[in-house]
Order: sequence, then C-alpha cells, then structure tokens
Amino acid sequence: MNTTTQMSDSALVSLYISGNENAFEQLVNRHKNKVFTTIVLIVKDTYTAEDLMQDAFIKAIHTMKSGRYNEEGKFSSWICRIAHNLAIDFFRKEKRSPMITLEDGSNVFNTLAFAADSAESLQIQEDTVARLRELIQTLPQTQREVLMMRHYADMSFQEIADATGVSINTALGRMRYALINLRKKMLNGNIAYDKNIYSE
Amino acid sequence: MIKTSTQNELIQYVYNELADDAREQLEVALMHDNELADDCSDLLLIQRLLDGATRTPSDRAINNILNYSKSLSLQS
Repeated sequence: MNTTTQMSDSALVSLYISGNENAFEQLVNRHKNKVFTTIVLIVKDTYTAEDLMQDAFIKAIHTMKSGRYNEEGKFSSWICRIAHNLAIDFFRKEKRSPMITLEDGSNVFNTLAFAADSAESLQIQEDTVARLRELIQTLPQTQREVLMMRHYADMSFQEIADATGVSINTALGRMRYALINLRKKMLNGNIAYDKNIYSE
Repeated sequence: MIKTSTQNELIQYVYNELADDAREQLEVALMHDNELADDCSDLLLIQRLLDGATRTPSDRAINNILNYSKSLSLQS
C-alpha cells in the first residue's frame, strides 16, 4: 500500500525535498488536472498546455529542491498560480490575445463526474461542457481570472483579492458576475440546462 | 431584491468559505426566501458544470515531469 496517499500536501512537499520521489508523484497526480485545466482554459491548445504544464512543474521542482519553497501558502494554489502566470506569459510572448478563437469540443474528456446514463444524455453532457469551456473564454478578463483562480486553482477569495490587488468584496462580486453571466449565456444559447441531468 | 452583501455571502457559501455563524444565518434565510434559494440552486448547478469542464493531461506529459524530477535526484 502506498503510504503517501493519505498525506497532506505539506507533508508530501517535505518528503519530496528530503528525496522521496513517490511523494512528488503523489503531488503531481493530486494536482495535475487543476493545473492542466488552468492552462488549457487560457491557451486553448492541448499540446501547448501540456508543454506549459511541464514547465510549471519543473519550475516547482527547482523551487522545492533549492529550498526556496514557501510553506505558508497551499501547494495547490502555488502550483496553479505558477501555471496561470506561465500561460499568460505565453500569450505575451506570442503577442496574441487570450480572448481569440474558441475551442470547440475536445478529445480529452475523461474526467466527467456525471453519472453514466444513456448515450444521448452523455452526448448532451459532453456538448454542454464543451460549450461551457467556450463560454468561459467569452467572460470579461477580470471575471474569468477570478473564476479560474477560485474554481480550478483552488485559491480562496482572500488569496485572489491579495493576488489581484482588489478587496475581497470586489473578488466576490467578480465571481458572482462570472457565474451569473455563464448561466445567462447558457440559457441564451439554448444549451441543455436540465437540472435533472446533473443531479446525483 | 437580494442585497449585494447577501449575494456575496452566497458565493462564499457555495465555495465553503463562509464562517460558521454566517453560514447558519444564511441557511435559515435559505429556508424562508425562495428567491435566495433559487439563486443558490443556480450557483450550485453552474459550479457542478464547471467541475465537469476539468481536463486531464496525457500520461506522457506526466511521465516527462516525473522522469525529470528523478533525473535531477540522480545527479545530486
């Protein structure tokens, strides 16, 4: 039995710094989806996102191995923040806007938590989530940033407020508008919004 | 009309960031205010949809990261 599976991130980081590679593997597997989603929602290209994800973890490796890791924050927030910054830097270097072409559908679609149902309802779920990814890209930048930091990077609203230089009420307001806007866009687009489909 | 402060608390509530006493007060309000309860339901639904939008990287990319870390350990 792998003894690292129940450990906190903080304990895993300490183990990794002392040379335990299994601890690092556990950390990577625990956070890879959030890191990857954070990046792919910005760059919209799977291959670029995988490259940037590798860069993010390599940066984390060097920081931890060199003893520069700050124990104060959460590992998940820290690694997702690195990923977010790398994705934004990528667009700056490419002189492209992260608000361009929308991603349409995906072949990497293996983490849906929905209950398996008929083929038809599964297709509706896939279409809905694919469309949701597109709609996230259409949100104003400040709303999209808060949504991604809170929902995918697992940062608290206070951490987001500190990171973006706004009050917690502003961060909360942006999140609220992001969620309201997503809902409106889904309703306006006649996207499946059947609560029964997503009920447990 | 729901107050902005209450709407902000609703956001904190669905993300489990509301302090215990404020959470209890909000839960009481949810039982008596249908508009607030509907808003809460919508937020939870969108939240669930966002969970479904999570993506998974390839095993190849993950193995590259793990191998890089191991190669550094071997060098040191």
